[in-house]
Amino acid sequence: MPEKNNSFIIQSSPHLREKDSVPKIMFSVIISLLPAAFASVYFFRFRAALLLFSCLAASLITEALFLWLRKRPLRYLLDGSAAITGILLAMTLPPSLPLEFAIIGAVVAIGLGKQAFGGLGHNIFNPALVGRAFLQTAFPVAMTTWIPPAMIKVNTATFATPLGNLKFQDAISQGTLTSLEELFWGNVGGCLGETSALALMLGALYLLLRRSIDWRIPVGIILSLSLFTGIFWLTNPGKYASPLFHVLAGSLLIGALFMATDMVTSPISPLGAWIYALGIGLVIGLIRLFGGYAEGVMYSILFMNAFVPLLNKYTRPRILGEERKT
Amino acid sequence: MPARTASEDFTKGLWKENPVFRHLLGMCPTLAVTNAMINGLAMGLATTFVLVLSSLVVSSIKKLIPSQVRIASYIVIIATFVTVADRFLAAFFPPISKNLGPYVPLIVVNCIILERQEAFSSKNTISRSLIDALGMSLGFLIALLVLSAIREILGSGTFFGQQVLGTWFEPWIIMVLPPGAFIALGILLGLANKIEEKSKSRR
Amino acid sequence: MSLSSRMAVVLTTVGVLAGAFLSSIGHLTKERIALNKQREIEKAIIQVVPGTSSNQSLYEEKKLTIYGGMDEEGALLGYAIHATGAGFQDEITFMLGTNIDLTRINSLAILEQKETPGLGAKITNMESFLRYWENKDCSQPLSLRKPAASSPEELSPSEINTITGATISSEAVLNTVNSSLVKTRELKEDGKLKLEGKNAR
Repeated sequence: MPEKNNSFIIQSSPHLREKDSVPKIMFSVIISLLPAAFASVYFFRFRAALLLFSCLAASLITEALFLWLRKRPLRYLLDGSAAITGILLAMTLPPSLPLEFAIIGAVVAIGLGKQAFGGLGHNIFNPALVGRAFLQTAFPVAMTTWIPPAMIKVNTATFATPLGNLKFQDAISQGTLTSLEELFWGNVGGCLGETSALALMLGALYLLLRRSIDWRIPVGIILSLSLFTGIFWLTNPGKYASPLFHVLAGSLLIGALFMATDMVTSPISPLGAWIYALGIGLVIGLIRLFGGYAEGVMYSILFMNAFVPLLNKYTRPRILGEERKT
Repeated sequence: MPARTASEDFTKGLWKENPVFRHLLGMCPTLAVTNAMINGLAMGLATTFVLVLSSLVVSSIKKLIPSQVRIASYIVIIATFVTVADRFLAAFFPPISKNLGPYVPLIVVNCIILERQEAFSSKNTISRSLIDALGMSLGFLIALLVLSAIREILGSGTFFGQQVLGTWFEPWIIMVLPPGAFIALGILLGLANKIEEKSKSRR
Repeated sequence: MSLSSRMAVVLTTVGVLAGAFLSSIGHLTKERIALNKQREIEKAIIQVVPGTSSNQSLYEEKKLTIYGGMDEEGALLGYAIHATGAGFQDEITFMLGTNIDLTRINSLAILEQKETPGLGAKITNMESFLRYWENKDCSQPLSLRKPAASSPEELSPSEINTITGATISSEAVLNTVNSSLVKTRELKEDGKLKLEGKNAR
């Protein structure tokens, strides 16, 4: 098949076939990310703004460079997908991360995570998370060093995230577990986008009302994580944190609402979406409770991304009149 | 079409039939031990030793071996030289032997070696087999060195253990870990395909 | 000769020749390989029990070997505990030097580890980990300081500082050290850690 004659064919997501709607959807995603972006600037001030800007710029420049190398029209840049990847990547980074690392992450996200697969619609893994996974493995110390939000004054040498506190510093028995209230408003340490649960939910509400994202995915993730952590919490509340804590803490909300719901890398059919979402929640629970890391949202979404082609194949709705397989 | 002249026998291993970049053979050592140049060099030399001597033996006794048992015989011959290489490294270069770990004994399952016996040494004269083995080994060695140079420079900021990037450089730890091997090899293979495509369209 | 007997003859000959060749190679390199291993252990013992001029293996089990380090007169200077325990990625093997009463740790040397480079692998780093093991009181179990203290002065005599970002690796080493110390103490109380031959050598 001569590829040059193809004009922008998207394989895995039929609802994207209407070309005009791609920029529209992407634009609404950008709008929905604004509350969380403003929250991060409020909590981490100038650092957050700098990180957001450099990731955004690096993503757009990399995208343009690859489009030029692959001899694709530059107007694809305007579909907004690269901008979303840049913003999402910045939201998953610790505020103290040196800018050059953030830029490397954005280049990897667009270059390896998206363009190497053939551009928008062809990537298997969420590009922003590919960039973050690269940074996590390349610069593990910088990626796990946290600074407190601007309004908290602390004296300790290192500052832990609520989940890190829970996992490595026995926060429950020490009585230092972050309160749910603080998690909700966002006055805690962590990545740019994992501070305020409120801002994230506001943005996602807009997307859900517009039906730009599949509600089954966030609901499924939260449900299965709550169930999993709930069982352990009920058996031993002195050791395990409550399901509500697990839902509000860390990058669960930004992951469930904005990353797992990425149309290119999530299943098409409702059944597939349920399986995918329940799987993500379960893997997050396993990593948080028994794994070596405090947080597992990134790896579990990437892990379940890998199953999406398979889920799409086996949960394809029966075409009307097609015989039922027994 | 098989190569005819001695120089063609030798040079085809460098690019046209390069085991790593063109045939994708021997991926296990290629990915596993290229986290530092010294390891890549040691693995390349150990493979050279095994491949050259195995080709020598196989091509000299090729007429004696019934074709039904040829694979078994080749494997015994290869395994013998692999064990020699393994013992030699453990006795005289213990740190390298420790770094390479199980990958020296695993040379025995390196497809490059068996493939050369099956495809070349069992059908050609001793001298041609030797030249072919040397060319293939050199191609493999170069591929390992290129890959390990990329991974060591980015992953540790060093070149053969010597600091080449200044203290400003924060090593990309991922490059000395398994994912770095896959990423670097993937990019190199992409480049190799691009070069091959270009040179083909020019022909 | 029939084909099947020819096959048998060829395979047997190849096998016998290869075997003979290998056994001679094995014989030639055996001593040297053993010597390399012994040297590595000796070097580590001298490092953790300073002043050692000779050593003796006092106790051996699967993942624990206890050596006695002796001075020139053959008097016991301290114990060198060679132990292996689970790490984050793979097992960690170390040599721990103590005084003869098992109340004080001289120092720790990590011999084998496959922890994450840049994080857990810092257990081999003097500045970020090993220096905290020098001259530690081990009459009671050692503990880990979490989160890491910013200066070594803040640590109590039996506290070890955590490597920032590598709590699991730090903890893994600490646990193996504690358990091997308990075991060594038991063996000593049972009188199983005796030098063979008074003032040997």
